Amino acid sequence: MKIFWSFARSTFQFIVAYRFDFFMEFVLAVLRMYGIYWVWRILYTQRPGAFGVTLEQMTTYGVMGMALEMFIWSRPQWYMANQIKSGAIDTDLMKPLDFHWYMLARSIGEMFIGVGVLGLPALIIAFIFLGVQFPPDVASGLLFVVSMLFGFLLLFHLNFLLGSLAVVALDIRHISWAYFSVVRFLGGQIVPLWLFPPFVAVIAEALPFKGTYYIPISIYIGKLTGLDAFKALGFQAVWLVVLVVLSRLLWSAAHRRLVVQGG
Amino acid sequence: MDGVTLYFRLIRVAVQARLQYRADFFTGIIGVIVMNTVTVTLIGIMVSRFKHLNGWTLWEMVFLYCLWLMGHSLYSFFFWHIRALEDYLVEGTFDQFLMRPASPFIMFLAREVQYLGVADIIFAVTGLSLAFRNLHLQWTGIQWLFFGLAVIAGTLIETTLALIFACISFWTGRSRRASQLLMRLNVMVQYYPVDIFGYTFRLIVTGLIPVAFMNYYPALMLLDKLDPHSPWAWLGYMSPVVALTLVIISSIIWHLALRRYSSAGG
Repeated sequence: MKIFWSFARSTFQFIVAYRFDFFMEFVLAVLRMYGIYWVWRILYTQRPGAFGVTLEQMTTYGVMGMALEMFIWSRPQWYMANQIKSGAIDTDLMKPLDFHWYMLARSIGEMFIGVGVLGLPALIIAFIFLGVQFPPDVASGLLFVVSMLFGFLLLFHLNFLLGSLAVVALDIRHISWAYFSVVRFLGGQIVPLWLFPPFVAVIAEALPFKGTYYIPISIYIGKLTGLDAFKALGFQAVWLVVLVVLSRLLWSAAHRRLVVQGG
Repeated sequence: MDGVTLYFRLIRVAVQARLQYRADFFTGIIGVIVMNTVTVTLIGIMVSRFKHLNGWTLWEMVFLYCLWLMGHSLYSFFFWHIRALEDYLVEGTFDQFLMRPASPFIMFLAREVQYLGVADIIFAVTGLSLAFRNLHLQWTGIQWLFFGLAVIAGTLIETTLALIFACISFWTGRSRRASQLLMRLNVMVQYYPVDIFGYTFRLIVTGLIPVAFMNYYPALMLLDKLDPHSPWAWLGYMSPVVALTLVIISSIIWHLALRRYSSAGG
């Protein structure tokens, strides 16, 4: 816990030092929410009630997709890539901390600050100006929070796996462009999975990406309720276990490779 | 040696420097193409599920996106590093430009190329020809000419706006986030037709930061979507004028900025 607070504190100091950057980041987030809001509003004005959702549910989905990015956002991959490239990863490996947990603690610290500085203010704007609604009932709200935490952990581990690739690939910038596009697409951040053409939907339904945006937001707007919501949480939990195991395996292999290189 | 010759000689050096890293080149190209494909697929799913977006059909949306990308690709190939001006200032690279016996502007512009622009060009040309065929467009000579002008205007609009935003760093020391704001407005215009947004937003991207002239307004003209009864129909022809105006404004700002920089003893 103490370690975690020290990460949070250093992130906070970083933010104070770069106030202007964070203000711009905030403006950008609001613009993103504004953009997607109008797209869904126009589409649903053309065809009210299409695909079994209302205009309000759909605009809420779109805006929440943009807002959620600031809640579940983590970036262990950039830290790992930089440390590996510069060789400074040595000092991390010498610390009396498991590297995987170290990265997780760091990301949780960053997440709290990101939520406080960007996420919540953006969400308030969304509630006031972009007509975002509250979940239909308390149960959906609670399940959403649980599902969002799963979403954070899933995305963290996916990013961690990407970061581990840096041991082999060194430069993960280009891979990450493709990776982030795929996460956004298959995760349903912009377009929900129920709109996908069948053959893409089949793939997206099976992969862990939909646990990042699609499941939490569908629960939030009341599209996934009752047993379906619990099944979705189970889906997230199963994939989380798989990704944790994969991360441990891949990182220990990567670690060995680093040591063999004399690092 | 005149400015243009010097520019192209330096650009050749920059290309050669870039080509040293082949693997980087290929992964980069693939990354950019995947990104563009995902974007177009998302737009495609939305539009095809709802038949159209405010009157814009699937292929019209592809046309809109690729027209933007076409102008953007030339910008991203030759002028992507304009946004790095703040680094040049901080690292002192810019002082080197000032010491050389040639225009610092040419030194700055010819400093680097971003080979990933190639991927944008490939994608844009493919998308435009597919849209052209699927929309059964039949352009007159004037429209073809206007298409060419619109692409060049698009490049100029993005380049000059990037330059104006980058020049902020002569005063404040940083400009990257401001440049990102520009990018973001740009991206919203790129994905969606401007007419779906509210009045204020349309006013901003038309009058203040006129990125809508990169694709939206020329596309209205090229796709015969101009409403002859609208008092604003003439905006469809204005891209070249807007580009020219921005060239003049940005060169004034650049010279002001340079004078300020030199006078600070830099």
